[in-house]
Amino acid sequence: MSRSLTTPAASRLPLLAAALVAAPVLVGAGYAILASLGLAGPGQAANGMLDASRWHFVLSSRSTWWSIGWSLQVAIISTALATLGAVVVAAAFSTSTRADRWARGVATLPLPVPHLVAAASALLVLGQSGLLARIGYALGLVQTPADMPPLVYDAPGVGLMLTLAWKEWTFLALVAIAVRGSIGDLYDETATGLGARTWTRWRLVTWPLLWRGLLPSVIAVFVFALGSYEAAVLLAPVQPAPLPVLTMERFADPALARRGDAYVLALLALGIAALAVGLHEWSRARWSRLHTDTTRGASS
Amino acid sequence: MESRPVVASAHRHDAWCIVVTTRLPAPHLLRPIALLALVLFSLGPMLLLVLQSFAFGWRWPTLWPDTLQLDAWRNVSSGTLGRGLFTSAGLAIATTCAAVLFALPIARGMATLPRPWSHIAAALVFLPVAAPPIALGAGLHVVALQLGVAGSWSGVWLAHCVPAVGYATLVLTGVLSTRDARDEEVARTLGASAVHRWRYVLLPQLRGALTEAAAVAFLVSWAQVALTLLVGGGAVRALPIEVLALVRAGQETEAAVGAVLLVLPAMLALSALRRGAARV
Repeated sequence: MSRSLTTPAASRLPLLAAALVAAPVLVGAGYAILASLGLAGPGQAANGMLDASRWHFVLSSRSTWWSIGWSLQVAIISTALATLGAVVVAAAFSTSTRADRWARGVATLPLPVPHLVAAASALLVLGQSGLLARIGYALGLVQTPADMPPLVYDAPGVGLMLTLAWKEWTFLALVAIAVRGSIGDLYDETATGLGARTWTRWRLVTWPLLWRGLLPSVIAVFVFALGSYEAAVLLAPVQPAPLPVLTMERFADPALARRGDAYVLALLALGIAALAVGLHEWSRARWSRLHTDTTRGASS
Repeated sequence: MESRPVVASAHRHDAWCIVVTTRLPAPHLLRPIALLALVLFSLGPMLLLVLQSFAFGWRWPTLWPDTLQLDAWRNVSSGTLGRGLFTSAGLAIATTCAAVLFALPIARGMATLPRPWSHIAAALVFLPVAAPPIALGAGLHVVALQLGVAGSWSGVWLAHCVPAVGYATLVLTGVLSTRDARDEEVARTLGASAVHRWRYVLLPQLRGALTEAAAVAFLVSWAQVALTLLVGGGAVRALPIEVLALVRAGQETEAAVGAVLLVLPAMLALSALRRGAARV
């Protein structure tokens, strides 16, 4: 009904408003492009000419690709762990019994815990003199903190991965529980009627529907994990520095000329995020089409 | 002879199965154990922080602090944590108000857009949400410098508003695009003015969604580190910045107090979020 009232000029207005929300990012990105090319900001070329040396320097630096690769690896593994945990909770506690409802409530309790707090508590749990090491001592597995395998500031980033997975899994569990609820039991019952066993039902019916509903949130979690600064700065190793930490270091570099590097790195991070946004919108549109089709199919 | 490894492997497999099945708890115990594991996994790290905030002299390798005392909590009001708390509360409340005020008309307009424009608008709004905070902060710092507010409370507030408006718009668009707009049409045909339609039709219908959007915007600002650091330039000492400094300085008890202070309002915002969701 509301669409019929919309004039063509008025329909452009919401689009302009949405562009206004994105404007600070676009302006910032525009400036970052100019600054990375030596046309503005710190490290600006004296003759005002375009200078691509910052791009060349950053892209040919081994530390840049090491940092990007390491950050992507941490984000992918932590997102996969969080997804696994969320799916297990959604599948294991899916009934409407009081115990399952309570379990779902408990699972989503850490949802508002900031990344910074998650990282601070990870240091208390995973640090070399943290709770795990103390439990290890009580069990006779370690004698000194040095015996404990390093889980923070470690080269593979195990502590950071576990922290990001712990932080993000509650959000994914919330979505997975909602998606699991929206799927209903119709397809499961049909598959059972056709002779499918539990594992077959899960593999061919529940998981594909759950995954499609979960995918936009998984992409969002990946982006958050990739861009998280506070968890990375507290738990990651010095070498390789995660992408957000490396960007911040360059941004605050006392040598003004090096600050141009920060804009190149920020643009690279923005590029990865933009790719993820595109993927997010594509999967969202695909899911909404599929959801409409399945709803129609179920009602007919 | 050739089948030996296979047989040995089969034996090993059988033996492993026996070990696994004999060591697994009885099926009726699996569920309580899973529930206990869930509680420990979800709440354990937070409970440890609470304990650490009262700890005095928690030396290796003891599992319990030597002494529990309230000193770190008593020092909150007079120390940097108290000032940080005050700054963060002001920033988060101001950001929440601005985000909801801006997001509501934007979301209302976006909900009326046909495809593919609705997808383009959603992608634009999603941009400040998805942009990595450091990349977003690097850009916003420039905008703040141009406006002459870099390194000030108002500059940080403006920076917090950017992702907060994005989040709030996404929350409200989701609800508005599935809302039945006929009530508003009826009110209009009955002669209700635009103000009356907002006051008596739209706002009561959206109370739940508005609570949700406000809670999300509050959380975005409350926990913000990167934007506060980059745009505030270290001059705006919000609570997360103080906690970050304390953790890096190894002051575990004070850092734990700050972390607990960061979690409590966030938990309250979550309960508001749940109440809002229940009303939608």
